[in-house]
Amino acid sequence: MTTMNASSGPGMKVYVTVWLGMLGIVAVEAALAAAHVSGGTLLAALIVLSFLEAAIALRYFMHLKYEVPLLFWTLIPALLLAFLMMNQFWADSARMNTFRFP
Amino acid sequence: MTHLMEGDVSDSAMTASVLHESPMEPSPFLIPSKKLIMWLFIVADAATFGGLLFGYGFLRFGSPNWPKPFSFSPNIITGLVMTVILLTSSLTMLGGVAAAQEGRRAATMKWLGATALLGVLFAVLHLREWSAMIREGWSLTANPLGGTVLFGALFFSITGLHLLHVISGVIAIIVIAIGFQTKRLTAGHVETTGLYWHFVDLVWMFVFPLLYLLNVH
Repeated sequence: MTTMNASSGPGMKVYVTVWLGMLGIVAVEAALAAAHVSGGTLLAALIVLSFLEAAIALRYFMHLKYEVPLLFWTLIPALLLAFLMMNQFWADSARMNTFRFP
Repeated sequence: MTHLMEGDVSDSAMTASVLHESPMEPSPFLIPSKKLIMWLFIVADAATFGGLLFGYGFLRFGSPNWPKPFSFSPNIITGLVMTVILLTSSLTMLGGVAAAQEGRRAATMKWLGATALLGVLFAVLHLREWSAMIREGWSLTANPLGGTVLFGALFFSITGLHLLHVISGVIAIIVIAIGFQTKRLTAGHVETTGLYWHFVDLVWMFVFPLLYLLNVH
């Protein structure tokens, strides 16, 4: 028989550790902005750190780590594919720079 | 009198089928359907925010005169405080879910109350920041620094949609907390609401760096 109990988490100790880790990532992001790192480098660093935070939040806070793997494989790759498809418009954005409006 | 066509199932046969086995197969994800529906909503909502943030990047990259209106103090400091508040509210939500699963109703109320309070605090700080920007002349169609007006349009749209999620979340948490206290709702409802609240937190993890930290002068 299949049981569908609510997934049990790892406990508050782990959650507090994860919370502190995420606060640390936010501190690093703010430090990079305060240090006036150049635009492209700052953008790349912030995106990597944001995705790292999102992955941690999904795994621990949203319990994806403790669900059956099928849930992850059904939801997340499709979402990432949607983002990758949105990513294809950057070339057109660069073209906008050359527009001259009357 | 009922005349059965070829291929029809009689009522008695259907009743017998229901009595002997469940008419529905179990979920392949081994989670309750309300939790699966919340996951599907989260994925759709993530695509919405993704589209908005990609649109922001597109217009920013394509605008040579993009303004950088934020200074480290007070704007980024306020943003950092808001980030810490939202992250902490995720932690208190986890406490609420754990307490609800253990059947501790009083503790669940305290944790959920703290979460709602932190959500209100986040919203108040956000509205305070908005009103300061509006006093400076920022709006959906105005840029007091000169250059493109797109910054105001995108900033207020994206943070406004996120703020709407926060306010909706606070209302949902209060409703769920009262329902759980009065035994009308279960720990599953608390967990599903928690899932939504963590998603609101997760979205801010992208909004804060991309809209605030990238626009520091």
